[in-house]
Amino acid sequence: MKTREDELIAMLLDDASPSPPVRRWLATDVGRRGLAEYRRTLSGLKQLYGDVTATPRPAAYYDSLQTPIGRVLVATTDAGLVRVSFRRSETSFAAELRERLGVAPVKAPAKTKAVVHQLADYFAGRRRSFNVPTDWRLVTPFQRRVLEATAEVPAGQVASYGDIAHMIGQPRGSRAVGQALGHNPMPIVIPCHRVLAAGGKLGGYTGGVAIKKKLLRLEGVVAANA
Amino acid sequence: MSFAEFAERHRPEILRYLVRLLGNEADAQDACQDVFLRAQPAFVRLAPGSNSRAWLYRIATNNALNAKRQRARLAARDVHVDLDTLSAVDAGEPRDELRALRRAVTALPARQRAALMLRQFHDMSYAEIAASVGGNEGTARANVYQALKKLRAALGGEQ
Repeated sequence: MKTREDELIAMLLDDASPSPPVRRWLATDVGRRGLAEYRRTLSGLKQLYGDVTATPRPAAYYDSLQTPIGRVLVATTDAGLVRVSFRRSETSFAAELRERLGVAPVKAPAKTKAVVHQLADYFAGRRRSFNVPTDWRLVTPFQRRVLEATAEVPAGQVASYGDIAHMIGQPRGSRAVGQALGHNPMPIVIPCHRVLAAGGKLGGYTGGVAIKKKLLRLEGVVAANA
Repeated sequence: MSFAEFAERHRPEILRYLVRLLGNEADAQDACQDVFLRAQPAFVRLAPGSNSRAWLYRIATNNALNAKRQRARLAARDVHVDLDTLSAVDAGEPRDELRALRRAVTALPARQRAALMLRQFHDMSYAEIAASVGGNEGTARANVYQALKKLRAALGGEQ
C-alpha cells in the first residue's frame, strides 16, 4: 500500500507527482519536516557517494597469433608492448598479466594489431626488426639497459653475454646480463635469442633452447649449433 | 562492438558503482578487475539486443556482494578495521549527520544499497535496476524506497 511517505519519496525521485491529499499534507508542519528531512538525506547521500573520482587502472590488452614456433601471445598497455610469451595457454597468460600488472587484460586484436602484424611478418621472413612502442613497467632499470642494448643486435648477427655487458658499461657483468635476459618480458621482439654464451655456445633460453635455435635459423644464423 | 570497446566505455562507471557499494577504492579496483575478467568470456554469448550495460552491472553487483561477504568474514577477526571509509567525511569538517548517514548506508542490506546507488547515481530506471540487481521492477522500487526510509530515520527523522 502506498503511504504518504512513499508519495513523498516518489516526488523527490521524480517517479510520480503527489496526489492532492499528499500535496495538502506537505503543506502542514509534519509534511514540511518530512520533506526537509528527505531532502537532507538525498543531499547527504550525494555528498558522500556522488562525487566518486576513482580512475580505472590502466588497461591491458592481449591477443595471440600462430607462428612456426607455436602460438605466440602478446600484451600491450596504452603505453606500448608490455609482454610477449609462447608455449602456454591464454588463460595462464591472462592470469600472469592480472597478477603482474594489477589489471585484468582484455582480448583486443585492435589494440595489439601493430605488434601482431610485425610478428607475423617476422616469422614469414618479411621483417627483420620491430618497431613498436614499449612499456617497460615489468622491467627493472638495470634490466632495461640490458634489453635496450640487446635490441641493438640486428637480425642475422649474434652477441655474447660479455658483449652486452660491455655495451652497458659493466664489463664484468656477464652473469647479471644473463639473468636479466632470462627474465626478458618481451622475447622475440627484444631479441635475447641473439645473445649467446662465450665461444659461440648457444647458452640458455627461457623458452627452450630448441626455440632459440629455430629463431636464429630463421634469421639466417647457422653457426649456432653448440 | 568489441569487448575492448565495451569495457573501455563502461569501466569508469562500473568502478564508481563498486566504490559506492564497497565503500573504498582499493576493494573496488580489485572487484572491477574481476568483473571484466568474468565478463569477457561471456560477452560473445550475450544475445543481440540484450541490455549489455545492465548485464555488466549484474556481474558487478554479484561480485560486490561476494566481496562484501568475504570481507565480513575477515573483519570478524579484526574489529578495529573501519570498513566504510570514504574521503568525503574525513576530508571536510566531520559532521554528525553525514557520519550517521554513512553508518546507515553501511548497515543497509546489500541489494537495497545497490538499488539506491543505481537510482541516484547511475541514471537507471527501475526495470534496469531489476536487471542489474535481480528481482522485478516492483522489488527494485521497494528496495530504493526502503533504503531511503532507513537513511532518513538515521538522520533523526521519525518513521
